[in-house]
Amino acid sequence: MGESAIALGYFDLVLATALVLLAGVASLVLRLNLEGQLAVGASRTVIQLLLVGVLLKWVFDLAHPLPVIAVMLVMIAVAAVASVRRSSRSFAGAYLGAFLTLLLAGILTTFAVTGFIIRVDPWYRPQYVIPLFGMILGNALTGISLCLDSFLETLSERRDRIETELALGATRWEAARDPLSDAVRRGMIPIINAMMVVGIVSLPGMMTGQILQGADPLEAVKYQIVVMFMVAAGTAAGCILMAMWIYRRLFNDRHQLCTEGIRRH
Amino acid sequence: MGWLLLRALDVGIAGRRLLRGVDLSLRTGERVAVVGASGCGKTTLLRTVAGLIDPLAGECRLGDASPVEVGWPEWRRRVSFAAQRPVMLPGSVRDNLERPFHYGSARRRFPEPRALDWAGALDLDQAIWHQDAQTLSEGQMQRVALLRSLCVGPEVLLLDEPTSALDPGAGRAVEELVTREAVAALIVTHDVAQVSRWCHRQLDLADFMEPVDG
Repeated sequence: MGESAIALGYFDLVLATALVLLAGVASLVLRLNLEGQLAVGASRTVIQLLLVGVLLKWVFDLAHPLPVIAVMLVMIAVAAVASVRRSSRSFAGAYLGAFLTLLLAGILTTFAVTGFIIRVDPWYRPQYVIPLFGMILGNALTGISLCLDSFLETLSERRDRIETELALGATRWEAARDPLSDAVRRGMIPIINAMMVVGIVSLPGMMTGQILQGADPLEAVKYQIVVMFMVAAGTAAGCILMAMWIYRRLFNDRHQLCTEGIRRH
Repeated sequence: MGWLLLRALDVGIAGRRLLRGVDLSLRTGERVAVVGASGCGKTTLLRTVAGLIDPLAGECRLGDASPVEVGWPEWRRRVSFAAQRPVMLPGSVRDNLERPFHYGSARRRFPEPRALDWAGALDLDQAIWHQDAQTLSEGQMQRVALLRSLCVGPEVLLLDEPTSALDPGAGRAVEELVTREAVAALIVTHDVAQVSRWCHRQLDLADFMEPVDG
């Protein structure tokens, strides 16, 4: 670490608010009708982040695995609901599938990184586990949502084609393989695009944060590479698990496609 | 072999019963017309026999074997369903014909010489074999779908209005080919003349019972 970061006071936050106010004034002058949403968004940013700050401080001070696990479970539940709601279609079992998928993909990826790469001690050290887990969830959520949307859309819109394959003697796996692959691919596109342009178009938030905290940029880069790979692995695991969950729920063991349960939001 | 048996079959969609207690036995080479008013469950009956949806009660057997004993993909190769609105898979006509032979349930290779012979009988020029299947006319699609089903080597054909998009001449060609190949067939049709000309008997779904000789 180099020099430490410049600490911010609450007055500095008030000054930052002026920036949003400027955007609000621009909205009023140009009649963009965005000032209400800007006010709500800005208020939610302050309230949500302050609450999270207080909660994290409490969890960090406790230094016990149970609060860490509890926070992780709440994060998974919120991410699971958000991922299904973002998709234009859903089916019975989608929320449970998203929850289990995020649980498995998030926990395996996070603890693989904290246990074998960063070697965090103790294993639950919240300063590492919670932010890394959050990054994985945030990206896996987007991936799962796109994967769910794509797979359900194909099963609904191209039902005739899939049933034609089944009628010609395809197994459920042979009939589902193409739409399943397309859905996983669709879910992975954002993280692959992010890896393509990272450092060129923008500096990732975590790396920026470390540099602002006075870290050596090369050290920050090493962390960022680990984070990008971790997020890619978590998103891939999430998309594959979610696609397999959908496949198992919508193709029965009689090799039939059961789309009756698919509904639009 | 070649005996399709429907025993006390109840048929419906999403739990709604359309037909009750359908009994039928179909021998090799026998063609039975499935008739009834629109919406009475003709297509649903064929889809049920193909195993694409579950019966609400009763069973289908091929000889002594149930679909569970045969295995569902194998059942669908032996009891082949061709939908009224034919669906072409991505790729050329040839890709469509060969597609079933890429599945794990395929027991033999694509029978190209026979396929060519059948295509000729259906007046399908070989020039269209490399054409994108999505660009065919509906009548061509209907004949390619029948050809695709025949290539699989079924013991029973489930044909849902197989000549609805064809002119009389092409319709006759379909009838003659299925007759010549002596494949058992359950045929949904609204064409009374076709029933008497092509089918041995009919299953009138208005009765939900064993068909009367036609």
